[in-house]
Amino acid sequence: MIDNPCILNDVTRCIGCEECVAACKKINGMPVEDGPPRLGHSKDGLSATRWTSIFRRPDEVSVRKQCRHCFEPACVSVCPVGALIKTPEGPVIYDKAICMGCRYCMMGCPYGIPHYEWNSINPSVRKCILCYDKLKSGEIDKPACVNACPKEATTFGSQEEMLAEARRRLAAEPEKYIQHIWGEHEVGGTSVIYISHVDLGFLAWQDKKYLGTEPLPDRTWAALKKVPLEFLGMASFMTATWWVIDRRMRLAAEAPGEKVTEAPETTEDEGGER
Amino acid sequence: MTRRVQITKGILWFITGLAAAVTIIRFTRGLGTTTALSDTTPWGLWVGFDVMGGVALAAGGFVIGAIAHVFKRDKYHHAVRPAILTALLGYAAVAVGLLFDLGLPWNIWHALIFWNPQSPLFEVAWCVMIYLTILFLEFLPVFLERTRFQALYRILLRMQLPLIILGISVSTLHQSSLGTLLLIMPFRLHPLWYTPHLPELFFVSAICLGLSMVIFESSVTAWLYKRKPNTDMLSGLARFAAGALALYLAFRLFDLWHHDKIGLAFEGSFEARLFWFEMGLSTIVPLVLFLIPKVRRSHTGVFIASSMGLMGFLLYRIDASGLAQVWATRTDYFPMWTEFAVSFGIVSFFALIYLFIQEHFPVEHEILDEEEKWRQRQLFVLPRFDRLTQVWLGDPTFASRRVYSLVFVVALVLGLTSTPWQPLVEASPVQRARGGDILKVGFPIGTVAFPHAEHVKRLGKEACGTCHHLHLPGDVGTPCSECHSDLYLPTRLFDHYRHVGLLGGNPSCERCHPQEGPRVGTTAKKCSSCHEKDMMAENQVVKTFEYLTAPGLSQAAHGICIECHKREATNPEWGKPDLFRCATCHRTPVSHGDVVLEASLEEIEDEVLQ
Repeated sequence: MIDNPCILNDVTRCIGCEECVAACKKINGMPVEDGPPRLGHSKDGLSATRWTSIFRRPDEVSVRKQCRHCFEPACVSVCPVGALIKTPEGPVIYDKAICMGCRYCMMGCPYGIPHYEWNSINPSVRKCILCYDKLKSGEIDKPACVNACPKEATTFGSQEEMLAEARRRLAAEPEKYIQHIWGEHEVGGTSVIYISHVDLGFLAWQDKKYLGTEPLPDRTWAALKKVPLEFLGMASFMTATWWVIDRRMRLAAEAPGEKVTEAPETTEDEGGER
Repeated sequence: MTRRVQITKGILWFITGLAAAVTIIRFTRGLGTTTALSDTTPWGLWVGFDVMGGVALAAGGFVIGAIAHVFKRDKYHHAVRPAILTALLGYAAVAVGLLFDLGLPWNIWHALIFWNPQSPLFEVAWCVMIYLTILFLEFLPVFLERTRFQALYRILLRMQLPLIILGISVSTLHQSSLGTLLLIMPFRLHPLWYTPHLPELFFVSAICLGLSMVIFESSVTAWLYKRKPNTDMLSGLARFAAGALALYLAFRLFDLWHHDKIGLAFEGSFEARLFWFEMGLSTIVPLVLFLIPKVRRSHTGVFIASSMGLMGFLLYRIDASGLAQVWATRTDYFPMWTEFAVSFGIVSFFALIYLFIQEHFPVEHEILDEEEKWRQRQLFVLPRFDRLTQVWLGDPTFASRRVYSLVFVVALVLGLTSTPWQPLVEASPVQRARGGDILKVGFPIGTVAFPHAEHVKRLGKEACGTCHHLHLPGDVGTPCSECHSDLYLPTRLFDHYRHVGLLGGNPSCERCHPQEGPRVGTTAKKCSSCHEKDMMAENQVVKTFEYLTAPGLSQAAHGICIECHKREATNPEWGKPDLFRCATCHRTPVSHGDVVLEASLEEIEDEVLQ
């Protein structure tokens, strides 16, 4: 399969026919009927049996939702056991055999993509895998959803090709599109990009707010990389404090005629450390 | 054994019994049945309270260890063993809580062999495992003190200081890493809580919570066993707590000011109010109370202040991991009672273990010796009889054990009978499912366009019965929603109350039910025995009304529509090969939620009618 596979979604072309949803369900062996929605289900229609869905806005704009396959995925970085894997080619896939079900990936994803099989007693995290296994084996040359789209609203190619195509479309009809490629830089760049005539800020958790270009894993890593230093610092600080206090108390006890005094009361010993 | 202890233990056993019932259902029916968690709220009470709160509640162990052993404040030595015991049990409780919360709990050991050092949760998991081992080694001397393993006992005592320093360092890491967990969610967590300094705030708040917990717990055990509270030690701890609280308050407010977010706290939003409530409960009020010398010397004073701090900081954890994310996720998650039962059940169970160890091992030397004497005396106390039955209940300990067992079993049965066995399903009532042209149904299916006129024209009047099941008196066409009133859920078909009312109340039972035998739905007469005239054409789908429940509209309509569409798609007469595709009917855009643009609907209706 090609490196850096990328899906370009053109919101202006989508007619909301849900052929992509049907194709996705078929290729992944999902039931056609989703069954009763769980209390508090995602309002965009995504579920453990629906890995892509058409989000319909009141202004009749249909936006296809699916996993963005971020370049630096939050879900992969937060998984404590590495059950979510960023493949060398690009797609983010899931390994049920490793997962322990902490659902941190679902909390970490800025787009709310991973969904859970709540009603199973052996549940998995479910999300789009960009048809990774089938693309890899050469069974298909495009993801099922792209193949199914009758309007070419969703197209497939390498990241460079798709960005070039998106720029071409933006330049060709500047009055039609908002001059922004969603996913080009958001959270460090994603493999599923959008061009649109409406603002797509609503696709992330907070309405009408851009995600920023900083990859999310950088935020936790900034704190985590200090861990060894913190450990050594705290250990040596505590040992040094003990040594000083112990020595002072011993000296005081040995000194004739002097009362044993405690060190002056301080309350910020621990808090002050950090 | 005082009455107080008995009642407390009885209550703890009751909650444990409820939790035991939920445990059975949790591990046989899955998370969906026992929790209100959903895809928008993957972490709920079990993470917020049991894991986030539990780890911090157990922070007393390392704080007291530092005060007593590293800073050499001898008067706090009494508090070390109870604090370490609390920490040990607290971390064990966290591990048990995790087993409930994890979707695949049998894979919990994967954290040992599959490493992802980038993950804060990986770091927390490892630190918790290491610290649990350290705590066990720190506490082992208490078990060994009065046994013949004196050599091991002495080795462990010698290792105590290094162990405590190691424990402090490991605690620093994972207490702060709990804050790091939330750093990945800048888009979920409200800015009043989200800051790059979450790790530091979590660490300082853990110290506050740990100190509050130690104070709270020694006051409670003193009350429970009617011991004299160690006022000197408690007021000293209260001073430490005041210092830590002041540091936390300054840090939190400085952080808000530094990131220019202090204005958000005065917006009057839900989050702003939650913020002030949390700050008041956790920090401001306890700080003021602890700063008053009179309160610090009073047993009740420190108890009230510490329990407020305790609840406040637990709320901080719950806010950060849940409540302060609602503004982004718009979730309406509220924990089910089963979640509360498990959370409190785990706490109760470990509280019982705590009391057991307190009573049987030298956690607090002098006290144990005294109680041992009391227990010896009890052996010569007159036997107790049950007041009602005059049955001898055995010696006092044994008698209370019987009571506890009974309470436990009662709670277990109560829990099993009142726990839901089916997962929660959101009702999606059908808004308008008349035989009109537009069916407004729930998300995400959206609105279905149905050209009724066209069908009538093509199929003829005789075919009405293919879709319409019945005509109610005075009604031209019975809406589908009359019976299929929910999109997915099966609903009751037969309105019993209405029939009772129309037929004249109780004396009319026999018009449908047999005179003798059980008067239930299955023994009643068929609907058609009275409603013969209401039946429609010959080709009706439902000929006799023998069904008591109607399937969800989605299932019913798909059953009828899709079959016909599939058949007709191959019919060259129509020339519509795409007839069976979803988009043929499901094509009207609907909004996010329930607001449907009426204008667009009318347009569709026009288009369909043409």
